[in-house]
Amino acid sequence: MSGLSDEGPRGVLRQGWSTTVGDYAIAGGWACKGAVLVVGDAAGGVYAFEGTSGATRWEHPGIHDGGMMAMAIHPAGDLVATSGQDGRVLIWNAEDGQVVQSIDLGGGWIENVAWSSDGQRIAVSVSRRVHVFGVEGQEVWRSDEHPSTVSTIVWSNGGDLATACYGQVAFFDGSSGAVLQKLEWQGSLVSMVLSPDGNVVACGSQDNSVHFWRRSTGEDSQMHGYPGKPSALSFDDSGTLLATSGGEDVTVWSFDGDGPEGTSPGVLAVHVKTVTALTFACRGRRLASGARDGVVVLWSLQNDGQGVPVGAALVGGEQDMPDVVSGLAWRPDDRGIAALDASGSVTFWRVSER
Amino acid sequence: MNSQDKVPVTILTGFLGSGKTTLLNRILSEEHGKRIAVIENEYGEVGIDQALVINADEEIFEMSNGCICCTVRGDLIRVLGNLMKRRDKFDYVLVETTGLADPGPVAQTFFMDDEIREEFTLDGIVTLVDAAHIGQQLGRSDESTEQIAFADVLVLNKTDLVETESLDTLEARLREMNRMARVVRSEKADIPVETVLNLSAFDLDQVLERRPTFLEPEYPFEWTGVYALQPGRYELSLAEGPDPVMSLVARVDQGSDDADLREGAEWCVRRYAEPAVEVAPGAEVSLNAHVSLQLQTPGRKSFFLQIDAPAQVGLYAQHTAEEFDMQLLRADDGGAIPVEVERTWVAQHEHDDEVGSFAIEREGSVHPDRLNAWLGEILSERGVDIFRMKGFLSIAGEPDRFVFQGVHMLFDGQPEKPWGDSPRLNQLVFIGRNLDEAAMTKGFDACLV
Repeated sequence: MSGLSDEGPRGVLRQGWSTTVGDYAIAGGWACKGAVLVVGDAAGGVYAFEGTSGATRWEHPGIHDGGMMAMAIHPAGDLVATSGQDGRVLIWNAEDGQVVQSIDLGGGWIENVAWSSDGQRIAVSVSRRVHVFGVEGQEVWRSDEHPSTVSTIVWSNGGDLATACYGQVAFFDGSSGAVLQKLEWQGSLVSMVLSPDGNVVACGSQDNSVHFWRRSTGEDSQMHGYPGKPSALSFDDSGTLLATSGGEDVTVWSFDGDGPEGTSPGVLAVHVKTVTALTFACRGRRLASGARDGVVVLWSLQNDGQGVPVGAALVGGEQDMPDVVSGLAWRPDDRGIAALDASGSVTFWRVSER
Repeated sequence: MNSQDKVPVTILTGFLGSGKTTLLNRILSEEHGKRIAVIENEYGEVGIDQALVINADEEIFEMSNGCICCTVRGDLIRVLGNLMKRRDKFDYVLVETTGLADPGPVAQTFFMDDEIREEFTLDGIVTLVDAAHIGQQLGRSDESTEQIAFADVLVLNKTDLVETESLDTLEARLREMNRMARVVRSEKADIPVETVLNLSAFDLDQVLERRPTFLEPEYPFEWTGVYALQPGRYELSLAEGPDPVMSLVARVDQGSDDADLREGAEWCVRRYAEPAVEVAPGAEVSLNAHVSLQLQTPGRKSFFLQIDAPAQVGLYAQHTAEEFDMQLLRADDGGAIPVEVERTWVAQHEHDDEVGSFAIEREGSVHPDRLNAWLGEILSERGVDIFRMKGFLSIAGEPDRFVFQGVHMLFDGQPEKPWGDSPRLNQLVFIGRNLDEAAMTKGFDACLV
């Protein structure tokens, strides 16, 4: 992808704005219906930028002592939850940057935070446990200790909370904390996504494979052959396509018909460095991928997982050296996308229809 | 990101009571200008303000394929993965393991996980040994043995509690198990910080600088005698001795000074690696070939050598001449030939511990395809038993020295500096359990061009 920086964004990506946060940009998301982009960094800062201009709306550098670890935007878009190495969860008003709730778990790294899809619950993981709180910050339930540190958590649209760790995926009833289902498999599960209907749970495993289960039948399958651990996974909004990457190529499995078992995946090969971020657009078959060299590519995919690149750009402003893409966030209308990188740059591009 | 940017990591292992915490505190409190992040697996022992100290529970992740070589430490992947996002905060990482930790998964983590490999480099494994207690521990626990075997530096600590003589014995035993490691003695872990940090442990040059004799090879023969011979027939006469057979190579044109002898020894090692031709009493000994003298019958036995042109001949014998009262005589008149020069070699000896180490040192270059095939074979067949290996190779047709290291079946290597005019050389060190040195050496020799 040489020459990208000279030519600026290509294809459907159009020049937007770029800015920076104080350190490695850990996570970000769009709040207030796409009017505000909130980003947290490794120095523990939380920053909000105007979606149209990139101007700083509010900022709180270093508020999570030791660093921010995770961020989740409330489904309604007005609240943002952040968690950090300080053992705290902060719930922010995205408009003005006021902390509306502060939940102190008394130490420990809070590595995951997630809102339930109805917005009534917030789940966090600390070491081997998950805790679920109400919007007012009151603890609703907490899990027993998992067999190992919880690596990732996801809410299903039906209100179950899924947790992954070494050796298993567990489903909890979101309201009571009762264990509904355990899917066991010997491997360290480092990433997880659920299909929109909640039936398929897919995990990237440390042994360079993607393992997935169908909850309804308990059947599982494993996709081998990744050069590295698949830490980037994304389902499209229809639940047909599962994009995965553990190397330079993006591998897209199609759940159309009887797939993906017995089918060949789409292989999207443009990146020359390991892909570190993958996100489907909120609607439709557009996929964004970002890699270690700071290259972001937009793809247009078919039902069978095959696809073509439709846009590409480098993270960072004109003066910045592109660094590892650490996050990608589609604006809720899919007409813009923000990319974060390891040097703390935040880059926004507009996305045209064609 | 190039390898210079990678953050070096030192792993500190050792049984409870060996002095890990004392050493750690020492490192952290000394003025060395390094910002060190510490990952501890044993809680609450260190409380130093200037260091970033992270506690993590040891989490061992085995893979579904059941391969122990693929086992990694999940806690390290997680903690290091977060640490690398705050690189401005530190420039060195120390990992202190629990006393009972198996160092394999810790070391493998730096090879197996792609993200960790991108950002960090394993600088060295330092194992503290409680001089007073390690003797018993070695017998009883695999972990202590493996901690010794994996080490780049062995700190023999609490030496004030042990007699010098038993310290020497202990050190010899540890060296036998791990010839790669540097052994440092201390009383209260009071060793210079540079002994354990920035080892670049995998650069064998440094190892050689520190202890040029560490590769002092063991030979399959114990004795060499050089004789000046005129054309004619000679009788090699042996009395009964400690062994019913004895290997021998009679090398023609053997020089007399030490360099000549060493060169002859290297050459003969390769002959020794070839199958021996059995020679019965009264029969002819082929020159420049590996023979096995059959000595089962009682009394003195004679073997014969035919020399066609004046030459110095070196006899490289499995045992010393003294053990068999071996004499070289003119066949016609029985006149004894005086030995011009003789020397003994460090013989390969029986290893008491299952875990041991050995080195291969060979001049010349290796054929890349043959080497790949050989390495692939030993790593897949013996990877479980090979704890560590490292060294450098001269690959035929390549201008640069190839430096490598490995943990179990994981192998990592890259071209380093150019050979230039220096002589082409290969050095490999293996540490492992029940390794077949002869077979592996033979396998390597077959890769030489």
